[in-house]
Amino acid sequence: MNRITCILITLILAGFPPVVAKGVDEAALRADAQKTFKEKVEPFVNKYCTRCHGSVAKAGINLKSALQNPGGESAALHWKKAVANVTLHDMPPEDSSKKPTDEERRQFAEWVSKVKYLAPRDPGPFVIRRLTKTEYANTLRDLYGVDTAIADSLPEDVVGEGFLNSISPLQSELFLGIANKVVEQIVAPDGKAPTAIQMRLFGDTPEGTDLRKAAREIARSLAREAYRRPPTTTELNVLVDIYDLAHKHELKHTAALGLMLKAVLVSPQFLFITPASNPKSAKERIVRLDDYQLASRLSYLLWSSPPDAKLSELTDKGKLHQPNILRSQVARLLKDARSRALFDGFGAQWLRVNELDDQVFDPKNFPQMTPTLRTAMMEEARLFFGSIVSENQSVVRFVDSDYTFLNEPLAKVYGLEQSVRGSQMRRVKLTDPNRGGILGMPATLATTSFPNRTSPVIRGVWVLERVLGERVPPPPPDIPELEEQDHQKVEGLTLRQRTQLHQSEATCRNCHKILDPIGFGLENFDAIGRWRDKNGEGIVINPAGKLPDGKEFNTPAELKRLLAKREADLARNLTERLMAYALGRHLEGYDDVVIDQLMVKIREDNYRMRTIITEVITSYLFTHQRIK
Amino acid sequence: MMKMNRPSQIGRRTFLKGTGVSLALPFMDSLGWAAGSKSAKPPVRLAFMYMPHGVIMDQFWPKSQDEFLNSPPPIIKSLQPIMDQCLMMKGISGVPIAPFNGAPHALELSTWLTGRLPDASSRGRINIAISADQIMANYVGAHTLLPSLELATMPQTWKENQAGLHEGYYNHCSYRSPTQPVPAEIDPRNVLNRLFGKRDKEGRVTQTSPLDRLMLDRVLGGARDLRRTLTKVDQQKLDEYLDSVRSVERRIGAIESRQQEAALEKNSIAPSKRHATDSAPIEIKIPEGDKRSEYMQVMCDLTVLAFQTDTTRVSTYIGSRPNGASYPELGFTNQHHSQTHYGTDQEKIRKVAAINKLNVDQYAYMVKKMHTLKEGEGTLLDNCIMMWGSGLENGNKHRRDNLPFILAGKGGGSLRTGQFLSNVKGNQGDLLTTLLSCVGVPLDRPIGIANKQIEAIKS
Repeated sequence: MNRITCILITLILAGFPPVVAKGVDEAALRADAQKTFKEKVEPFVNKYCTRCHGSVAKAGINLKSALQNPGGESAALHWKKAVANVTLHDMPPEDSSKKPTDEERRQFAEWVSKVKYLAPRDPGPFVIRRLTKTEYANTLRDLYGVDTAIADSLPEDVVGEGFLNSISPLQSELFLGIANKVVEQIVAPDGKAPTAIQMRLFGDTPEGTDLRKAAREIARSLAREAYRRPPTTTELNVLVDIYDLAHKHELKHTAALGLMLKAVLVSPQFLFITPASNPKSAKERIVRLDDYQLASRLSYLLWSSPPDAKLSELTDKGKLHQPNILRSQVARLLKDARSRALFDGFGAQWLRVNELDDQVFDPKNFPQMTPTLRTAMMEEARLFFGSIVSENQSVVRFVDSDYTFLNEPLAKVYGLEQSVRGSQMRRVKLTDPNRGGILGMPATLATTSFPNRTSPVIRGVWVLERVLGERVPPPPPDIPELEEQDHQKVEGLTLRQRTQLHQSEATCRNCHKILDPIGFGLENFDAIGRWRDKNGEGIVINPAGKLPDGKEFNTPAELKRLLAKREADLARNLTERLMAYALGRHLEGYDDVVIDQLMVKIREDNYRMRTIITEVITSYLFTHQRIK
Repeated sequence: MMKMNRPSQIGRRTFLKGTGVSLALPFMDSLGWAAGSKSAKPPVRLAFMYMPHGVIMDQFWPKSQDEFLNSPPPIIKSLQPIMDQCLMMKGISGVPIAPFNGAPHALELSTWLTGRLPDASSRGRINIAISADQIMANYVGAHTLLPSLELATMPQTWKENQAGLHEGYYNHCSYRSPTQPVPAEIDPRNVLNRLFGKRDKEGRVTQTSPLDRLMLDRVLGGARDLRRTLTKVDQQKLDEYLDSVRSVERRIGAIESRQQEAALEKNSIAPSKRHATDSAPIEIKIPEGDKRSEYMQVMCDLTVLAFQTDTTRVSTYIGSRPNGASYPELGFTNQHHSQTHYGTDQEKIRKVAAINKLNVDQYAYMVKKMHTLKEGEGTLLDNCIMMWGSGLENGNKHRRDNLPFILAGKGGGSLRTGQFLSNVKGNQGDLLTTLLSCVGVPLDRPIGIANKQIEAIKS
């Protein structure tokens, strides 16, 4: 299967055009797709495939059941494999009596590609979602002024796509322990002067205050803030009940409020984003998110922090969902310093530079790779990403730009230490066309290297996956990596020649002839991103190569420019990744149709970054949920 | 995705650097299993310890019963002094992984204790099966302070999506329900707090108070109100919350009663529930450096201590995760996975064997220690079943026909140790089903692909 997927990728990269929805008439597209499956795909499958791939289901592929619900989730994989095998002439097998013509094979692939239109209009569920470790820590910081380190003991989360929206006894215990610490820090013991936060949360209690009544009002404001929506009467009753409980155990007013706060912090309404309305009463299958959920989804996406006062005000007025208001809030949130969270959560993961911190470098070869330099590399990536967002530049600038951010330690990597002094990061204009953009950036170049040398293969995969959004299949098992090729055969060869040996093995060739030239195009950058003309063995580096479409390049600068021309692919990749991150799930089925529609608008605005972010946030997928 | 070297996660440094402290546990003398009377039989406990990517077969499997006992192959050499307490069986096959052929590493871990494949029609979500350790926790967890213990040495954040499967499959082997993976604790200090409560200088538990239990009780009541307004999928999510908070509530209660018992025993009002001859609880030393072996060892110690004090009866320890681990102390910085596709490269085979040996050495350290600790009429090990194993036969070709496992401990007399079975015919599910039956967990259906028990290992 691996070999086949490898080859499938080859075909895709070789220029099979992606299907782009021009119009947005979904119903017509769906009807057309249904017709195609009924009138074209079904007869083809029945004629050539079902004898083996029907109820017998050879190789686990059952196209008969796939035909019954061609748009279903389980059918997707069967179609993918079927198309790959048919296109490659692997299927039907040699000895089969009936075989499709080349034209039929091509058409089959085209027909099946319409499968996405069969998926029903569906934004997916928005299951109550637990705050991630970062979101939880930031929320405690924003609401109670505590240090985010208070949450350090929680297990790490995968954020965005792949997030595990689950909670275990371990986490619950830690949530309780952390809630204890928060209360300890912000509620002064009886008889001591109240802290500022305590004053803000609990207010003053002048003589003669009806304490229980005051407690109810405090509960209301605590819960409004912490639950990110107004509490229901039942929810208020629970909190006041806890206040009473504390009293019964002879806690004084302030300590009793402290217990109430602790209860807020271990409540599901705080730990999860929960709906404000009663969605169970809705008749529809698909509903809009209520404004409170939308506000939380929005602020946790862009800030990894809870909604601020302005957002809360708009939600209280029920206005946030209005498209123009939502757009202007996206713009406002992106201007705020908290939006660096978009890089920390999304950008760093997209570029894989979040792994830089844990990357091992051989200290013998790279004594320069100090913690200071690592930090500067990460800062460069962050500031560069931030500049493209804040200046609303085209995503093309990620690949091809003429500036970056440097301080003195990092400038040494660029050979610019003469002009950049001091530890302060600043914007620097670049004159070297090989630099500028994520392909010539030390953080990404270092993340895609081995401890002691570069890896053209990892870099090639990184460009294909992270920049262009292609899927690169895993190599089949038992393939030796470079270092394990026969030593005698390998001696005296350059890295490129050694890698070409790799290409001489049939199982590897199809993928590596695409990956390797791209990676070798970046060989002039060493494993920590310094420019070099010769490799470790003293051999002159030749970065020249060809892209799968035949376009040639002679320098990293030329490679960069060729990739920058694929603006539609760059933008689609980034849009899909951001959408998956925003929804916290993998994209599938109908999502693809929505992305098609967004891409039309994004193209019209020249692939600008803020437009991508705004389109994702105002999309049907982000603002709606399936509740049944 | 890629099969290639990735940067290693060395988050362990965060905890371990410069901490060389030994943590003494007050009241330890009273933290015994609540057996009721001196004649009661100690409970049977079960632990799983995992290593990814399989083994170098000819340096792992003995050729005969005699070799097993008297001259074990290099990787398992460190078990030699207590081979009569161990049991090895060749011929346990893994779950066949089609249609997920592109996901060998996500599956080697996620099928390890579930004995079945994820649901192919919803790959993007976690949907597999409750794992063997959690089945046991459901059955015996109510007797102890923690229903189960999950340990690891690396954060469970490897973000690799193999064959469209959710990233979580790559990092988790314990599942509380088909949709709910259980995260593991990676900080030894947190584990210690979790096992025995955080204490102040006088040794009082400071982490929780009885009032917290009453507070949680009301929060749970409120959550049930919320539940009524939610849709079905939301309700399922909230049920996970309810379940986890209930276990915290119960844990606080257990700590309270443990303290009461301790006070009564101290004042000689109640008799001790431990045998006078039982060994004192072991001491935990948090290592100073950042050696992987020492980090792995302290987690072994915590498992021993948890079992010895009957704080839990089932423990799962992901010794290292597929991908990301390296062992500089062995003299090379290569990551484990990068060496496992060795082909015929002797250098890589040597490195993988060294990594295998280091992992088995930690396991051997643990079970040997358990065999020195007296409990009841015998040793702690006598009352436990400690399983070590991997999710692949070898990493080179991702084979799963003959998974490596080692068992140690007699399981309270349920296992026949001291044997090497060269050809048992069974699968991963069969083995798990057998082990649960040995520890006395009645099963209404076999685990995963199981269709029988492996009688030859039972006594």
